[in-house]
Amino acid sequence: MATTTKHAIGNWDTFHNNGPFPTKVLYKTSLEGKGNMPSLIDRYNDAATEIQRLLKDALDKQEGFRAYGSAWSMNHVAHQKDNMHFNAEMNIKKAILDDEMHTASTFKRENLFFVQCGNVIKEIHKFVFDHGKSLKATGASNGQTIAGCISTGVHGSALGVGAVQDWVVGLNLIIGPNPEDIVYLERHTEPALNEVFAGRIKARVIRNDGLFNAALVGLGSFGFIHGAVIETEDRFLLKRYVKKINKDLAVELSRTLDFANSGFTVPGETDVNGKGNTAFHYKVFINPYVNDPEYVVEAIYKKPYVAEYPDPLPRIKTAIYRDLIILFTKIAEKYKNSIPKLIKVLEKSVLPAVDLEATGTLAEIFWDAPYQGPAYAIAVGVDHTNSGKALELLTRLAKDEGPIPGIYAMRFVKQSRATLAFTQFPITCMLEIDGLIWKAKKNKIISMEQFCKRTIEVLQANNIPFTIHWGKTADWSFPGLVQYMYGDKATTWKEYRSALLGEKGAKLFSNKFLEDTGLNEFIVNTSPELVQSIA
Amino acid sequence: MTIRICKRKNLSVLLLFSFIILFSLSSCYSVRIVNKDGTPEPDPLNNSGNFYKGKKVHVIDTTISLKLHEGDFYLIEKCPSGGFYSVEYRVTFGGVLLSAITFGKKRKVKIKYVCLKEQ
Ligand SMILES: Cc1cc2nc3c(=O)[nH]c(=O)nc-3n(C[C@H](O)[C@H](O)[C@H](O)COP(=O)(O)OP(=O)(O)OC[C@H]3O[C@@H](n4cnc5c(N)ncnc54)[C@H](O)[C@@H]3O)c2cc1C
Repeated sequence: MATTTKHAIGNWDTFHNNGPFPTKVLYKTSLEGKGNMPSLIDRYNDAATEIQRLLKDALDKQEGFRAYGSAWSMNHVAHQKDNMHFNAEMNIKKAILDDEMHTASTFKRENLFFVQCGNVIKEIHKFVFDHGKSLKATGASNGQTIAGCISTGVHGSALGVGAVQDWVVGLNLIIGPNPEDIVYLERHTEPALNEVFAGRIKARVIRNDGLFNAALVGLGSFGFIHGAVIETEDRFLLKRYVKKINKDLAVELSRTLDFANSGFTVPGETDVNGKGNTAFHYKVFINPYVNDPEYVVEAIYKKPYVAEYPDPLPRIKTAIYRDLIILFTKIAEKYKNSIPKLIKVLEKSVLPAVDLEATGTLAEIFWDAPYQGPAYAIAVGVDHTNSGKALELLTRLAKDEGPIPGIYAMRFVKQSRATLAFTQFPITCMLEIDGLIWKAKKNKIISMEQFCKRTIEVLQANNIPFTIHWGKTADWSFPGLVQYMYGDKATTWKEYRSALLGEKGAKLFSNKFLEDTGLNEFIVNTSPELVQSIA
Repeated sequence: MTIRICKRKNLSVLLLFSFIILFSLSSCYSVRIVNKDGTPEPDPLNNSGNFYKGKKVHVIDTTISLKLHEGDFYLIEKCPSGGFYSVEYRVTFGGVLLSAITFGKKRKVKIKYVCLKEQ
């Protein structure tokens, strides 16, 4: 039997201390030992039974229940006041067997894997690499769980691929304590696995594009994600360049993403006519307090896999232009106890000059995140054609109404089909501000809450459509925020959620974050077709 | 006069003491080896604000006494996953001193390790 330990914790906090949040109980479920239960599917189903037992307990007590992963979300999206479940020890992974493929599937069997919710990206990297495969895209590092990534829509390493949920092709949810509450969802237009597979995990199948797209970025509120079927591709390498380039050029390229006609080219990364190749990933780093004529940019290009290449990690470990928070904490290291001094340093110093090159796999280039202290991260998504304008507005906000201890970056991601993906524009520019949590009164500067509120107001006042990363710092109670960002899509999401979970289930998987955003609304009398397979 | 001599004595003792403290501080360091492709065994209750945050940490803090004919020793530890994610070995001045004055027969061992997550 899978075993669950129960801890009366009193308070729960995120990895970067964006809480604490009062919490009664933390559960941690460990799988049955392999020696006692050698079949991987048996262990998976055994864990499902245990989760259903916990869900029944919570329902009986009329309490809420929420699964969480690595607690990397920097707000209260992963928090629930009654029962929180730590998933990371639920980490079964398996390749897909021939007899599990749907006859109409267009996926290659060898590219598909089934992974349990608590697998962190790093262990999935290794597992698929050992099968000759690579993940398609991740965030800037590797410590999140797969379920955590899907639930908030983690993006960041690949411009042309999309976010993590965009390579998920099947979802196994547990929505309650009964046998029919184990469901396996897929798109009806893109079936992947068949009833044999579903039978093995004791799930009823629903193939329905609308439901699947809604459940993907489910904010922890669409049931317990027990497992996901993911699509990988053949191994590849990435060549990463970090350079300082003219600021206008960097911003112009962000706006057009037209690498072929940009003045920014990297020697060796051009076609036969000398035109720039499209980068796999493009990122711009900005210190808002300095009028530097140059910005640091990171451009990464995809290469065929070869077994022999210099190990990129020793260089990456000392390199600071990786994750924005790494860069910031390197600058802030000496001044973290004095925010005014830190701001003075930011006002004086431009971002360090750099000219780096490194080659590695996706797992190596987007490796471990080394910072463990308190931090915030604000991330708004805008259409990339609005990136220059949004950057100008939000850097001006920091200068005029700040300062705040943080620096900026922009990353770019292809549109997602997930209903509530914040990567909803044809190409979304994620404009990010990362830094150290500060006390407004003590440092006599604007508060984090006020700055977040002003971010929304400024973008609204300038008619720039935007989204906000679900796992980051924001004024989530801002009136009408979600409706403003997603319009009808927010209603669609609520309808599918209500139809799938029913009223009791919707309450069970709700939390304060959902209430703050208004997404907890239960919609009565939804059409049963929302949760039926479409032929 | 007596007082002055006494002070001077105190001063030299103080200097010696400070030297020892400085020396012991500077000769107190740790080396950490981390497994590049490994995933650490998690511990959601570990809230330390350092490298070990969120990781399940095992600590060995002991003094090993070796017999006259014993020159070498192994510490045999068990990770359920069968592998180590990280090992940190701490060298302290006290430990070096103890080993020196006991001719290597007493070895102070301070190790922190994290196992790989079970697969
Ligand atoms: C150092 C660092 C770097 C980051 N880099 C990036 C980046 O590059 N790109 C990016 O987009 N974001 C980034 N983020 C944000 C972070 O990746 C996301 O917030 C992500 O969702 C966190 O994953 P997690 O496993 O920690 O999930 P958690 O934060 O623990 O949970 C996130 C959500 O998933 C839900 N959830 C988790 N497991 C389940 C389950 N089994 N069933 C149902 N719901 C579940 C939770 O309830 C919650 O709603 C970063 C954060 C940090 C701290």
